[in-house]
Amino acid sequence: MNDHDPQQRRNPVWAFLSSVRLTIILLIILALASVIGTLVPQREDAVEFARRISPELFSLLSTLDIFDMYHSTWFRLLIGFLALNLTVCSIDRFPRTWKRFSALPRPDRQKPFEDLPQERSFVVRAERKSAAASVVEYLKGRYKRIRTKETESAHFIYGEKGRFSHFGVYLVHLSILIIIIGGLLGSFLGFEAYVNIAEGEKTRTVILRNTMKPLDLGFEVRCDRFFVDFYRNGAPKEYRSDLTFLLGGQEVEKASALVNHPVHFRGITFYQSSYGVIPKVRIRVSRHASQAESRIVELEQGDQVELPGGGGVFSVTRFSGNFMNRFGPAVRILVRPIKGHEIRFWVVKEMEALKKILPAPIDNFPGLDPSAFKPYTFSFMDRVKGRYYTGLQVNRDPGVPLVWAGCFLMMAGFFVTFFTSHKRIWVRVSGHDTGVRVSVAGTANKNPVGLERELDKVTREIGRLFKKG
Amino acid sequence: MLHSIILSYVTFVYFGAFLLYLIMMVMGRAVFGRLATCVAGGGFLIQTWAIITRWMTSYKMGIGHAPFSNLYESLIFFAWALMLLYLIVEWRTKNRTMGVFVTPLAFLALAYASFSPNISNQIQPLIPALKSNWLIAHVITCFFGYAAFGLSFGLSLMYLIKRVGTGSERNIFLRLIPETGILDILNYQMIAIGFLMLTLGIITGSVWAHSAWGSYWSWDPKETWSLITWLIYASVLHSRMVRGWKGKRIAILCIIGFSCVLFTYFGVNYLAGLHSYAKS
Repeated sequence: MNDHDPQQRRNPVWAFLSSVRLTIILLIILALASVIGTLVPQREDAVEFARRISPELFSLLSTLDIFDMYHSTWFRLLIGFLALNLTVCSIDRFPRTWKRFSALPRPDRQKPFEDLPQERSFVVRAERKSAAASVVEYLKGRYKRIRTKETESAHFIYGEKGRFSHFGVYLVHLSILIIIIGGLLGSFLGFEAYVNIAEGEKTRTVILRNTMKPLDLGFEVRCDRFFVDFYRNGAPKEYRSDLTFLLGGQEVEKASALVNHPVHFRGITFYQSSYGVIPKVRIRVSRHASQAESRIVELEQGDQVELPGGGGVFSVTRFSGNFMNRFGPAVRILVRPIKGHEIRFWVVKEMEALKKILPAPIDNFPGLDPSAFKPYTFSFMDRVKGRYYTGLQVNRDPGVPLVWAGCFLMMAGFFVTFFTSHKRIWVRVSGHDTGVRVSVAGTANKNPVGLERELDKVTREIGRLFKKG
Repeated sequence: MLHSIILSYVTFVYFGAFLLYLIMMVMGRAVFGRLATCVAGGGFLIQTWAIITRWMTSYKMGIGHAPFSNLYESLIFFAWALMLLYLIVEWRTKNRTMGVFVTPLAFLALAYASFSPNISNQIQPLIPALKSNWLIAHVITCFFGYAAFGLSFGLSLMYLIKRVGTGSERNIFLRLIPETGILDILNYQMIAIGFLMLTLGIITGSVWAHSAWGSYWSWDPKETWSLITWLIYASVLHSRMVRGWKGKRIAILCIIGFSCVLFTYFGVNYLAGLHSYAKS
């Protein structure tokens, strides 16, 4: 931080944005903020939670966007601020890094040899010049940018390697920016949606997850069949949807979506995400409560069926396996007469049992009365095997390739940052009464232990050079 | 099943190794240290054998998959990775004092896996979401990351104990712990390995989530907590590499970091999320 460009030093905004203290504070704030979102239920799950808290707390939390925290403006601004900080930091430090990268120190520097441990120097019987020449030859095989210098008293040889290690950090920072850009691209140009399609049905629209609005795909997708396979212990083994894509009514492509094996069509990806069975029931509709004028109808949830004798239609809008958690299976019937208001009521399968529980005759409970629509009486006979529907997650995310590129770059950056270091080595071959003294010294920008190991090795190998000759 | 019974015995082998390391530290006799290494190494080999057997058994049952699919299997693998990494560090540094701080973690993980009533040791078939080649890469990278952070936690404790006890040179326990400078360097190396592995774990998890759930990042609690852990260790690395923080402050941050790791691993199970199969 000492060798700041004076022009930059004067700018307090730049100084603030380029400080690593800010980075650390931002990282910790981001970490703490992320904790909130894991404790407070998000998005769809928030509804249940919101019912249990006081209205004041609810309005406070929803003002702060806590229920969809990770997509809130303030959280995005925080990430943006971190991105800005790491960009400024990188720009601010780059000139110095470049200097360290390109600097070529003098071969005859004395400083590295100060306090040299004894084992890093030894005496050999050789002539100085030829000794220096063989050291140069050896270093050329292991190091780059070899420089030599000859003085009256000694020969100096300098070599280095791994100077690209200074740029590892920049690769990591760049990769984070790329991942953030990829994420932004996905959230602005992509979408996340879902759709349920019954076997044999097709659809052109899907429901967006964030707004719950329909989205036109521009083509149709049909679910030909849905399969579910179970293990012997009852756990699910495989879900599969056989899909057909249609353009203008023409079948274009067929594919199967499995969990972990999504299907891609025209830049949109379809993921197998859930499934279910469309409720299908048998209903007896009788007029004047007489068996004679009754009809048994088999219908799926959503089907509209004409009332016997005309006068309107009815449908099953919901099915409950255990109505109000105590009355057993039930269906909700919707009757739309040609004249008059539509009417909704539940029909319980075990009507006799219900009548015993109720404190008053059933006509006092219009929502539970099977004869609420006069003069008809509905009874729920049984549930029959219905069709499957498949639940598909439908996404488009043009940011994904960038995110993967960023991840790849990050790993490369980590490798350079953690496992390479810029090692500089100086060897001094000095005149001596009984021969020449060879001394080995070095510096590294990181990993001092690795440097020691390297220097040990180089000293040993140079020593061996002279033993042979 | 035989391998589960053997794995529950390995729990006690690691406890025995811990006691031997402790005796070495208290009495200052190197012979106990050598014995401790033998016991720990032996336990590790038996554990390796048991994991391979479990793997092969699942294939014989016709539901073959790598033993990384539920909490039981992940705890076993966590203890295994921790011991492997520890034994490598012990061998490289020729110092056994870390054993006292690391073997209890392996022992606790195995004890929890083997003796908790809530954890099933049965080999279960893979549910569709787990049927992916990314399972192996994701679990191995994550748990080696956790193991490295576990070692960093042990080293940080050692650092703080050594710092508090400087001056009392007569205490054998304190004297045997390496110099604070060495602990600091070793700790940094563990953080670097852990951070790299955690990053790889998050990336492999993202790639997998992208094909299984349709989104490479869903802010699921486990994902978010792994990001929180990542942010904490990122700040540790920045404070050390750029601001030159050393020693005590780094040691404390590493202990906070490891508690985030533990929360990512266990605490998240109490929050709702997509990683539900890692609960039992």
